[in-house]
Order: sequence, then C-alpha cells, then structure tokens
Amino acid sequence: MEDIAAQIKKFQKELSTGTVSLVLLAVLGQSRQPLYGYQIAKRLEELGDEGALAGKQSALYPVLRNLEASGLLASEVEPSVSGPPRRYYRITKFGRDVLREWMAAWEATRESVDKVLQGDWR
Amino acid sequence: MNADAPRMPRTIAEYLDQLRAALRGADPALIQDALYDAEEHLRAELAEQPGRSEAEMLAKVVGSYGAPEEVAEIYRDQEVKIQRALRTPRPAKQRSLAGQFFGVAADPHTYGALFYMVLSLATGIFYFTWATTGISLSLGLAVLIIGIPFAVLFLGSVRVLSLVEGRIVETMLGVRMPRRPAFSTRGMSFWQRVGAMFSDPRTWSALFYMFMMLPLGIIYFTLAVTFLSTSIAFVAAPLVKVILEANDVPYGSCNGSAVVCGWVDWWSSWPGTFCMSVCGIVLLFATLHIVRGLGYLHGQIAKHLLVAGTVRE
Repeated sequence: MEDIAAQIKKFQKELSTGTVSLVLLAVLGQSRQPLYGYQIAKRLEELGDEGALAGKQSALYPVLRNLEASGLLASEVEPSVSGPPRRYYRITKFGRDVLREWMAAWEATRESVDKVLQGDWR
Repeated sequence: MNADAPRMPRTIAEYLDQLRAALRGADPALIQDALYDAEEHLRAELAEQPGRSEAEMLAKVVGSYGAPEEVAEIYRDQEVKIQRALRTPRPAKQRSLAGQFFGVAADPHTYGALFYMVLSLATGIFYFTWATTGISLSLGLAVLIIGIPFAVLFLGSVRVLSLVEGRIVETMLGVRMPRRPAFSTRGMSFWQRVGAMFSDPRTWSALFYMFMMLPLGIIYFTLAVTFLSTSIAFVAAPLVKVILEANDVPYGSCNGSAVVCGWVDWWSSWPGTFCMSVCGIVLLFATLHIVRGLGYLHGQIAKHLLVAGTVRE
C-alpha cells in the first residue's frame, strides 16, 4: 500500500507541473482586477482538496514568478493597510494569446486521454 | 514520529527561521525569494483573520501552505525546473583544444559579459556619484534637523539600487540574483526598521560595492575597448593594405635604424599583414575568453557584496 501512495504522489506531482501554470493563467484571465498570491491560493482552495491542484500553496508563488518572467503576467507591488506590501498580478496581452493556445492544447489532450481511458477508441 | 523533527513554529519569525534553516546550502537568491513569498502569504493570512493568534494561524497554514521543510523542498524542486526550462541550453562541450578555444564565441554569456563591461563605466560613475553625494550630504546635514531623514532616505535608495544592479548582473552575466528584496523588517516600528537598515551588513556591503564600481567599471571598460579594438585592427590589416594601395596612399615609410625599419617593412608587406590578421583572430578569441572570465568573476563579487548578507549561516 505504501507503494501505491508513493506512486499517486509522484503522478500528481508530474500532473501538476503543467496544469498549475494553466490554471493560474486562467484564474488571472477571468479576473477583472489584479490578484495577489494569497487571493489566488484561497480561490483555488475552494476547488477542494483532491487531484493535482491540491498541492501546497507555496508551490504557486514560484510558478507565478516564472509566468511573470516569461512575460505572460505583469505585476506590481502595492502597500496594504493591514499587512505587508502585496504583489498584484495581472495577465498581459501576450498571456491572453498564450492562454487561448494552452486551452486548445488542454482540450485536445483531455479528449484523447478520456477516449483511451474509456476504451472506445478503435 | 520523528524525534528530531523541528517543533511547530509559533510566530511568523520562527516559521521563517525554520524555512531559512531548511533551505541552508541553497542559492542565497533562492532563499531570499522563498522567504519573501512565505512572509507575504503568512502576513496576508494573519490580516485576513484578525481574531486569531499567530500560533493558531500558523498551525492551520502548515497544512495549506506547507511546513517549512515541505516549502523548502518545493522551492529546491522548482529551481531545478527553472534552470532547465529558462536557461538557454549550453552549447555542446567541445572536446578538442581548438574547439574549446573558439567555442567561446558561441557562448551567450560571453556577449552578455562584454556588454556589461562596456556598460559598467556608466553605471560605475553613476553609483559612485550617488554614493559619494549621499554620504557627504548625510554627514554634512547631520547637524541639521533634516540630516537623519536624509541619511535614511539615502540608505533606502542604496538598497533599491542594489536590487536593480542584481537584475542587471543576472541578465548579463547569468548569475542567479534575488528577484525580491529581503524584507525582515515586518512588524517592526518605523524606528526599529531604520535601526535594522543601519545594522544590516548588507546595506554597507552594497554601499561598498557602489564605490568599487567606479574603479572596476573603468578597468572593465578600458580592457574591453582596448583589447577589442586592437584585435579588430589586427584582423583588418590586409583589408587596410588593399584600400591604401588602391588609393596610392603612402604608408610604411620609416626613417629609423635598419633593424626597426626592417621590422616595419616586413609587417607592412603582404605576408606580414596576413600574419598580423591571424594574430588578430587569436587575440580576438583570447579577448572573448578574458571577457567571459571577468564576467564570471564580477558575478561572484556582486553576489558576495549584494546578496550574501541575507543568509545568516
């Protein structure tokens, strides 16, 4: 049973590598105003604690920073009344174009994976 | 349960200390980024639920954000992925001696370093002027009421500039530098923060770096320009001879001793200019090696003076 748990963990880690970037970009693509890391983490928390997106929230921050470094997101720091300054992220024009392509790629992948899993593909 | 597992952090500072300990040995820039993210998240969590104590909040956060060791592992993991994804793949290792010598031209770091060396004269002058003006005005105004605020503002600007310089160094020289400022001053009063800025060795090492950048910038600029122009002039020698001959411009006239004139005549003959051109090519590539080496060296200097102080070992 130990082995199965380890395999699940490994699989989820590998699954989350790409999907977390896609989800973060999509969350910011749907949001009307810029969001900061903590807000995004709380939104994703509402999705429940199953699957590849339920990992530790600390994993989101490096991904946000990478997306910013590759120009998909832009950010600015604003001081807040109640706490430390917050880094607000918003999607860039380039980010929106990339998101559209990523969504298409995701749709295609999901469809073919579903087909194989359901066994009705030939 | 593991007996030597660290105890549950009770305050944000304790959590950050544990995270710093768990990241020991990692890249200082990575540590600074990880601490910044954790602090921002924890403070936001605390601000969200005003009724709760810090210890209660942390007990919950260890589940959602991750315990310090887990967070450390995530960041180490991410760093490996970033290195793999963002870095341009290193050119294939050339085995032959000639391949190693000429391969330097295919390394993007060489050109980054070259550009940095030329730029460093401008940034060096700016940093030096900024630092000298700031220090002398701070000391001069110390007797007046505006002296202290001025000194505080000046030291603040030094810290911002050190972050900017870090970004330049990372882009040009490929040395990992922090992307977020080190802030360990949260929760302190304004005067405690000012005190922390004065007692932080990083402030002073960054100031020292700004002074150092003038002589270093002059040296880098001079070396880059001298070596480059000399080697390009050598390489172009046959071309210059063709142009001079075509236009009947007199050259190579000499009225010194026979030994010197024999030397001059040979170098301005056809075999001489081609020989000079070959020397120029070798010198050009040697220059690229020197530039890349100096770039690496400067990256290490910058890392030690601008970042190292963050990691309390």
